[in-house]
Amino acid sequence: MVEHAGGWIGASLLRKEDARHLLGAGAFVADLKLRGLRDVAFVRSDVAHGVLTAVHKPDDAATRVFTAEDLAWVNVLEAGPELAAFRSGPYPPFASGKVRYVGQPVAACVAQNRAHAEDLAERVSVEIDALPAVIDCVDALAPDAARLFDGWPDNAFITSRVTEGDPASLAAAPIRLHRRLRMNRQATVSLECRGIVAHYDARLDELVIHLSTQGPHVMRRGFAMALGLPEHKIRVIAPDVGGGFGGKNRMMPEELAIAAIAMKVPYPVRWIEDRREHLIASVHAREHVYDLTISADTSGVLLGIEGDVFVDAGAYALWPSGPFMETSMAARNLPGPYRIRHLDIRTHTVATNKAPLGPYRGVGRPGACFAIERLVDEVAHALGREPIDIRRLNMVTSAELPYDTAGGLRFDTGDYPAALETAIERIGFSAVRARQKTGEPDGRVIGVGIAFYSEQSGHGMAEWTKRKSRVVPGYESARVRMLPDGSVVIHVGVQNHGQGHETSLAQIAAHELGLDPDRISIRYGDTATAPFGFGTFASRSIVFSGGAVARSCRMIVEKLRLIGAHLLQATPDAVRIEHGRVLSATGSVSFAEIAAAASIRQELLPDGVEPLLEVVSTYEPTDSRGVFSYGTHAAVVAVEPETGEVEILDYVVAEDCGTMINPLIVDGQIQGGIAQGIGTALYEEIPFSDLGQPLATTFADYMVPGASEIPAVDIAHACTPALVTEYGVKGMGEGGAIAPPAALANAIADAFRDIGVRIDETPLTPRRVSDAVAAARSAHAAQPSEAAS
Amino acid sequence: MRTITLSVNGEDLTVTVEPRESLADVLRERLDLTGTHLGCEHGVCGACTIEVDGKATRACLILAVMAEGRRITTIEGLRDDPVAAVLRRHFHEQHALQCGFCTPGMLIMARDLLNRSTPSSEKDVREGLAGQMCRCTGYAGIVRAVLAAADETTSTRSPTP
Repeated sequence: MVEHAGGWIGASLLRKEDARHLLGAGAFVADLKLRGLRDVAFVRSDVAHGVLTAVHKPDDAATRVFTAEDLAWVNVLEAGPELAAFRSGPYPPFASGKVRYVGQPVAACVAQNRAHAEDLAERVSVEIDALPAVIDCVDALAPDAARLFDGWPDNAFITSRVTEGDPASLAAAPIRLHRRLRMNRQATVSLECRGIVAHYDARLDELVIHLSTQGPHVMRRGFAMALGLPEHKIRVIAPDVGGGFGGKNRMMPEELAIAAIAMKVPYPVRWIEDRREHLIASVHAREHVYDLTISADTSGVLLGIEGDVFVDAGAYALWPSGPFMETSMAARNLPGPYRIRHLDIRTHTVATNKAPLGPYRGVGRPGACFAIERLVDEVAHALGREPIDIRRLNMVTSAELPYDTAGGLRFDTGDYPAALETAIERIGFSAVRARQKTGEPDGRVIGVGIAFYSEQSGHGMAEWTKRKSRVVPGYESARVRMLPDGSVVIHVGVQNHGQGHETSLAQIAAHELGLDPDRISIRYGDTATAPFGFGTFASRSIVFSGGAVARSCRMIVEKLRLIGAHLLQATPDAVRIEHGRVLSATGSVSFAEIAAAASIRQELLPDGVEPLLEVVSTYEPTDSRGVFSYGTHAAVVAVEPETGEVEILDYVVAEDCGTMINPLIVDGQIQGGIAQGIGTALYEEIPFSDLGQPLATTFADYMVPGASEIPAVDIAHACTPALVTEYGVKGMGEGGAIAPPAALANAIADAFRDIGVRIDETPLTPRRVSDAVAAARSAHAAQPSEAAS
Repeated sequence: MRTITLSVNGEDLTVTVEPRESLADVLRERLDLTGTHLGCEHGVCGACTIEVDGKATRACLILAVMAEGRRITTIEGLRDDPVAAVLRRHFHEQHALQCGFCTPGMLIMARDLLNRSTPSSEKDVREGLAGQMCRCTGYAGIVRAVLAAADETTSTRSPTP
């Protein structure tokens, strides 16, 4: 490997994890083969809401079918924030009493393979008396709406309010625009579905759970509490994980059921989620409704936002965090990067008869960004101004940082207007305006859209306790072990599932230790070997785990220095460390020699120095309110007005995520995040029938964008280091997914701004776009003078 | 149960299967060839792409009994394949994979693309890979890698005079 001129920090090192995957030799949960393994198929509710009156097992297979009765001993986990106002219904592994969404597990069937398990599942009969389904999260709050949970005064998990400034003053604002915006429901769609293999290891007297998860340690805690086992009797192993994106970071009923069954049967049991199960019953995401009024003065200064945010949270709160974070983050991010000082947002986190909502790349913010950035464009349109000018006028400048937003976020470092200007320049904004004047020969219409996002990352105790989280992921850990030959194994508590941690964390260790990354292995994903950590989510790994690796390595270096100096008969302050050696003025000793002394030749150690080169440490940034990556997305689209088909002609990102450890991986995260954001913006949706039946249950009706739909993104980097993290890094895994719905919606609206088209709902399918254009055209034809204003 | 004989990665194998078993399940569960991944089991995502008689095929969409007497190549059978080797190198250099789940199917389809014709443009590559889903990378690195591999294999096959 070739060292970057500036050292390993900032080197686009090619990834260590590639080789096995390129050979098809990765090891995912479904690839694991244990002797005597049996497969599980679930019997699921095919009714959205109803009273479960009976589950009949086939007489000849009763011991291979497990129902709520068989798992009655499993403890129900209390989920959601530790807030008195938060309500939560019990979510046992199998429906009991009532079913509350199509796909909810009712029973598990065990057989020699999945096909036979499914045969058995077909023979289990389930009796349900259907009740009216609660499908719309706004209607769900009506006094006469059916209730999911008896005893709740309405269907809200929680109703809350974010207020700041003097929202009453907004009533007199000269510009007041009311808009209703909607971001529809989707799935997270890791290409590897969920999966679990569990068995009770009699020799070790422990339950071993192989799980496709983003956080094995936290999941172990959930399993322990639910199964009534002490944590030392549970080992959770996450092997290669084929994508997570938030969808593999909650305790799910199927996984709990498999673990519970494994405690009762003398063979390993496996469940590999199929795609239909994934789309109907895995973590669902987004589904926000915004009913907002934005106020501005006639010069375009944005004053405030009032209104309601509704999040359709599905039927249950998922352990540990529940759905309120989705809503509160959406509300708190509504002011965007703008000096909006008056806020009055009522939030409604609503239970419906759909699969439970969980986190998905971006959490809350894609909806908030879509809402505020659409509103900014609407204000500009109402004033007859360029949207970019309204942004320039209102955006927080670098001189104002750190800046406390009306939503309670503290923006730390950067230059937001610079990102805006870079994006405007790179997208060729004025050239697009010129091109729009000449028109397209093929009859399509061109539009350009801009959206700014910020991405809180590296937030620790201060932020998570504020959210009343029952698990506070305020630190990460790293165990650094130098072996007798001077090579290094580092165990971390985060979980790599595509992020390249085996490479980027090795770069950090290489930087600190002065070793080649080839001499360093990063290990994770096994509670038996890794120190406790929270896993990978919330754009936290490079800040927390990177910091922990750096800190533990520095402690190893101090010990290397001490022993090395002794071996060189020098004082510790008279030696330096370079390329795997400790050097004095007169000689040098290699890490291998020092490590051998520390491990197997302790007679060589200085007095009072303990053997072994092994350190575990934890790390939290010095300010735990979070560091904010940010950027501006700009998109040019061509829209076919009759069919509503949208083609992305150009997509630009100007971003700043602080110091980059590995720019290759950063660019990959941006491009990949944007692909998912484009999915949210244009393609992906799980609609429901009035009866609560999910209408997208295969990849034939759930549209995941392919190579033909996703453009290569033009990425411009700025680098303003964070002040409170190691090396000045900021997390950046989610930002790509935040802004595309806003940027693309703005671009489509821009294409038809002359007729005042209303673009207010994602995904912007051909049907929605062509309907919006047709509606605007007929309104425009009826009242040309008004619509043109 | 039916007993079938088929060639898998150059080896003639006899395996007893249920008539309803997909070739993908037989490869993975009975023959332990787990490099063939299953992402949807209904023929859309492309993760299970293998070669049957030299043609890229969805292993989830054909029954094992239909593969009787056929020549099957999975990712495990391409360890020494020269075109696959070129693709692997470019995939690595262009950061064309993240979680790695789509990668075996993607490589087989890309190799099929290069063997059938020389994709001359980005559009060709994107269309050629339109049936291969990747949820992590946003495809840009994959497209770059396949174009670079096309360049390289073309110049190897027909050196400029």
